[in-house]
Amino acid sequence: MSTNRIISSLRAEFGEAVRGSSSPAAGRLLVDLDRSRLREAARFLINRGGRYQVGVGADERDRTQTFGLIHFFAFDRERFSIGLRTAAPASDPTFDSITPDIPSAGWTEREFRDLLGMRFPGHPKPKKLITADDWPDGIYPLRKDVPYNLVPPSTADVAYQLDEAPPGTTIVPVGPFHATLHEPAHFAVYVDGETIKHCDYRGFMAHRGIEKLCQTQVSYNEVPFIAERICGICGSVHSVAYCQAVEMAAGLSISRRAEFIRVVCLELERLHSHLLLIGVAGHLIGFDTVFMHAWRIREQVMWLSEKMTGNRKTYGMVVIGGVRRDITPEMKDEIFAVLKNLEAEIASFHKAVAGDSSIHGRTKGVGKVPTEEVVLWSLLGPVARGRGVDIDARRDFPYAAYDEIAFDVPVTTDGDVWGTIVVRLLELFESIKIIRQALDKMPSGPVLTEYGEALPAFRTGWSIVEAPRGESFHYVLTGEENRPERWRVRAPTYTNLQGIPRMLRDNQFADFPIILGSIDPCFSCTDRVAVVDRRSGRKRVWTKSEMDRLSRSRS
Amino acid sequence: MWLTSKFKQIVLALKPGTVTLKYPFETRPVPKDFRGRPVWDHTKCIGCGGCANHCPARTILLRDLCQEVRVLIYDGAKCTYCGRCAELCPEKAIVMSPEFELAAPRREDFSQTLELFMLTCNRCGRCFDMEIKNAIDKLDLRGYRYDNIETRTVLRRTTDRMEPAVLDETEAARRPERIGG
Amino acid sequence: MRFLAPLVNVAIFLALAPLFEGVLRKLTAKIQSRQGPPLHQPYLDLLKLLGKERLDSAGTWPFRFAPLLAFAAILAVAAVIPFGGRANILAGRMDVILVIYLLTLGGASVLFGALAGRNAFGLIGASREMVTMIMVEPILAMTLILGAVKLGSLSLAAAVPSAAGASYGISNALMLLVYLLALQAFVARQPFDIAEAEVELLEGPFIEYSGGNYALFKYAMMLKQMFYAWLFVSVFLPFLRTGVYPLDLLIQLLAMFVVFLLIGLVGSTNPRMRIDQAVRYYAVLIAAALAAVGLGVWGH
Repeated sequence: MSTNRIISSLRAEFGEAVRGSSSPAAGRLLVDLDRSRLREAARFLINRGGRYQVGVGADERDRTQTFGLIHFFAFDRERFSIGLRTAAPASDPTFDSITPDIPSAGWTEREFRDLLGMRFPGHPKPKKLITADDWPDGIYPLRKDVPYNLVPPSTADVAYQLDEAPPGTTIVPVGPFHATLHEPAHFAVYVDGETIKHCDYRGFMAHRGIEKLCQTQVSYNEVPFIAERICGICGSVHSVAYCQAVEMAAGLSISRRAEFIRVVCLELERLHSHLLLIGVAGHLIGFDTVFMHAWRIREQVMWLSEKMTGNRKTYGMVVIGGVRRDITPEMKDEIFAVLKNLEAEIASFHKAVAGDSSIHGRTKGVGKVPTEEVVLWSLLGPVARGRGVDIDARRDFPYAAYDEIAFDVPVTTDGDVWGTIVVRLLELFESIKIIRQALDKMPSGPVLTEYGEALPAFRTGWSIVEAPRGESFHYVLTGEENRPERWRVRAPTYTNLQGIPRMLRDNQFADFPIILGSIDPCFSCTDRVAVVDRRSGRKRVWTKSEMDRLSRSRS
Repeated sequence: MWLTSKFKQIVLALKPGTVTLKYPFETRPVPKDFRGRPVWDHTKCIGCGGCANHCPARTILLRDLCQEVRVLIYDGAKCTYCGRCAELCPEKAIVMSPEFELAAPRREDFSQTLELFMLTCNRCGRCFDMEIKNAIDKLDLRGYRYDNIETRTVLRRTTDRMEPAVLDETEAARRPERIGG
Repeated sequence: MRFLAPLVNVAIFLALAPLFEGVLRKLTAKIQSRQGPPLHQPYLDLLKLLGKERLDSAGTWPFRFAPLLAFAAILAVAAVIPFGGRANILAGRMDVILVIYLLTLGGASVLFGALAGRNAFGLIGASREMVTMIMVEPILAMTLILGAVKLGSLSLAAAVPSAAGASYGISNALMLLVYLLALQAFVARQPFDIAEAEVELLEGPFIEYSGGNYALFKYAMMLKQMFYAWLFVSVFLPFLRTGVYPLDLLIQLLAMFVVFLLIGLVGSTNPRMRIDQAVRYYAVLIAAALAAVGLGVWGH
C-alpha cells in the first residue's frame, strides 16, 4: 500500500472527518483527523498492517486553544510512517482510548493522562504511570503553565494500588531495588508456587524531566548532549534520532561523510550494547564466565570509541548539522585492525556458547510468545526478530547512510529468550560488516554543515532509528525560541516493557531475570519524561533508628 | 554437545590470560583526544562567554561584578565532559585534559574560578566576537551576564551596557521551587 | 593425644576452610580472565562481617539461634571424622547415621532461619533448599551406606576410610561417578546454587541475615564444602595413605585442593539450573546411587 493509496482509502472511509494531510518528508505522512473518529481510524490502520509506534500529546493552548494528540503508525514493508493528528479543545481534553484495540498504546495514554491531564474513556487500566504516587491531582507537569522545576509538597501514606492478585497466588516484590534490575523499577510478580501468573509494573521512579527541560530551558544544539544521556548504553541513538528529527523538520541536509560517521558511531554502539546484553544474560542465568568474557571482548569496542570520540560511552559526536569529529586515515586503519580482532573473538565466543546445552536448558522454551502476539503488542528489535517478526528500521526506514550499505537482518522463529540472544549474536557480525562498508564507502568532505539562518518554527519531524534494543522514535516540533516546542522520545524499552507481563505468564519465577533481561530493559530510557520527584518538601525528618524500624517492619 | 562446549569455553577463557589490571597501581594510558576535565588558561581567555552560553549542563557561570571585572566559574561537579566549551572557545583557552580521576572530598575542589579584567570598547562597551559560524549558535546571547554565583543560578539577562540595577536585582536570585513562588 | 584429635580436626577445618574458599574464588577469577581477590580475602570478609551490625529483623529466637546451630552442627561433624585417616576418640561412639543427622541438622537450621526471617525471597529460597535437601541427602546417605554395607558396620572409624579400600568394585566406581556429579549440589555451587540464586532471590535463605549471624552461616558453608571435599578424598581415594599421620593429613589436604579445583572449574563453566530441572537431575542420581548400593549388597 503506497502513501497515496492509504490517504485515499482513509478519505473514502472517513470522509469529512479527514481534515487534511501533509507529507513533511519522503515516507512520512501526517493526517488531520476529527477526534470523534480516532479510534476507528487507528483500528483501520492496524487492520491494514500498520504497527503502532507511539502517541505524542502536546499542550497547544497558547497557539490553538487545544490539546494535540498524534498517534503514529509504521508500515514497515511499505516503508512509510503515518501520524493521525487530532486535537481536543482545552476545556474538554478527551480522546477515545485506542488501547482496547491496540494494547501497546496503553502507556502512551496513561502518560498523557498523568502529564497533560488528557482523559481517555474506555482505557482498560487507567492508573498512574509516570507521576509519583503522592503527586497532587490537577497539576499536569507537561502543561506550559507549570514551571519545569516545580516541586509540589509530598504526602505520606499514598501508595500505588497493585492489581488484584489472581486467586491462589502470592506477590513477590521485585524492586524497586533488586539484583536483577540495574535501575529502579518495581515489578509485583504474582506467583503460584514457582509459576508466574501475572505481573504488575510500577516504574518511572527516576524521572528526570528531560522533555520538559529541553522544551523550556536549553537551545537546539544543547539538546543532543542531553539526549545522549537519556540512556547509559544507546546514547548516540538518541542524539542521532533527535538531530535527524530536527534536520527533517527544518529541511536541512547534512554532508554525506557525516552520515557515514553517524553510522559508524551507531554500529559501534550496537556492538558494545549487544555484547553487554549477552554478558548480562549470562549473569542472569548464573553463568558469570560468559558475562566476564563477553565484557572482556566488549572492552575493545569501548577503547576504540574512546580513541575515536574522546569518551568510552558518551561519544558526544552528534550535533545538528553533522558530527563533531572526523575519522582520520590513521583512525580508519585502527578501526579495521580492531574489527578484525573483534570478529575473530566474537566468532570463537559464538562457537563456545551457541551449542551449550546447559545454556539452552535455561533459555529455550522460556518466555515464549507466538508471532501474532508479538505483532499485537508491537514488540521491537531483537525481541521481535527473535520471535519471527522481520522488522528493522535500518532497512525499513533507511536513515543516515544505511541506504548505501548491504547487510542482513537475522530473524529466528524460536519465539523464546534463546532466539533473542541468537539474533543479537548474529547482529554482531552484521555490525562489523556495516562498519567496514561505511569506512570504505565514506566520501571525503566536511563533517559539519553550517547553515545561515534560524530554524523555521512549528515544523514537524520524526525520526526512527534502530537502537540495539529496537526502534527509537523521536518527534520534534520546532519552536520559536531557538529550542524545540515539543520533543517526544520513545525508547524501544517503553514498548517492549509493556509486553513483559505477557512474556512472563506461566513461566517459572527462576526465569524472571532472564525474561526481563532478554528485552535488554533500559529503565532510564523509559523514565525520561516528567518532573523531578524530589522529596525536599517533606516536613518530617526521620531519625536513623526510626528509618531502620520502618524499613524492617513489614507493612 | 555439552562437553565440546565446555572445552571451547575453557579454551576461550584461558587464551587471553588475565586482562584486568591492578588498578590503581597499574593504569592504562589515556588516548590522545580524550575528553577529561576541562582546564582554563586565564592568559588566553578573553572572557567572551561562549563556553558559558553553550554548556549543556549549565556548569559554567559568568558574572560581571563591574564594568571591568568579569568572574567565570566552572562548577565541575555538574560537568558532563562533553567538550563543547573547548570546541567553541575562539582563543583555544580551554583544553580537555586527560585527567579523569577526579574524586575529591569537597565540591569546591572541582571548581575553577577565573577573574578576568575586561577592557572597555569605546564604541560598544565590550568587544568580542564569539566566532561561531553556526546560525543556531549565533542566535544566542552576548554581552553582560548576571549569573548568581552563590546559588549557582544561570541568569542570562544580558544587555549592551553594564546595568548596576540589574546586577542588584540578580543578587538574591534563586531558582523557583514551588508553584506561585 | 587422642583426646586432642577432635580439637585438631576442628582447628584445621576452621583455619583452612576460608583458604579453600579463596582458592575457589581465585580459580573462578582466572577462568574469567580477572585478577581476582587475594587468597586470604575470605578471612577478611568474615572479619568484616563480624564487625558489622547484627540486625535482628525477625525478633524471634529461632532467627538468632539458626546460624549458631548451623555452625555448631558442621563443627561437630568436623570433630568426629577421621581426618588424616586416623580415627579419634569420638569415632568409636559415633556412627555414619550421626554424621548424616548432623549434616541434615545444618541444612535444617538454614531452613529454620529462613522461615523465621519471613522474607518473601527467603521463603522461596527455603522451599528450594528443602527440595534440594530431600533430593541430595539420600545420595550422601547412599555414599556412606555403601561402605557400611561392604564392611557390615555403621561405625565411622571403620566405614569411611576403608569403605572402598575393602574392595574397589563396580559399585564403588558407580558411586564415585554419582558423587562427582552431585558434588556441586553438596557444596551448593553452580549449577546448583538454586536456593541462594543471587539474581532472582538475592541469596534466598540468608537474605535477612547480617553481621556476625551471616558470618556464621558463611563460615558454616565454607566448612561444609571442605567436609564434602574431604569425604570424597577419604571415601574414594583411600589408597592415598602412608600410615604416617602428618603425611596422610598433608596428602588428604592436597587431594582436597584438587577437588576444590574441580568444583571451581565446573562451577564457573555452568549456568544455574532451575529447580525443576535440578530435581529431574537428582532423581537420576538417586536411582544410580541406589543401584550402586544394590550392587554393593550383591557383592560387586
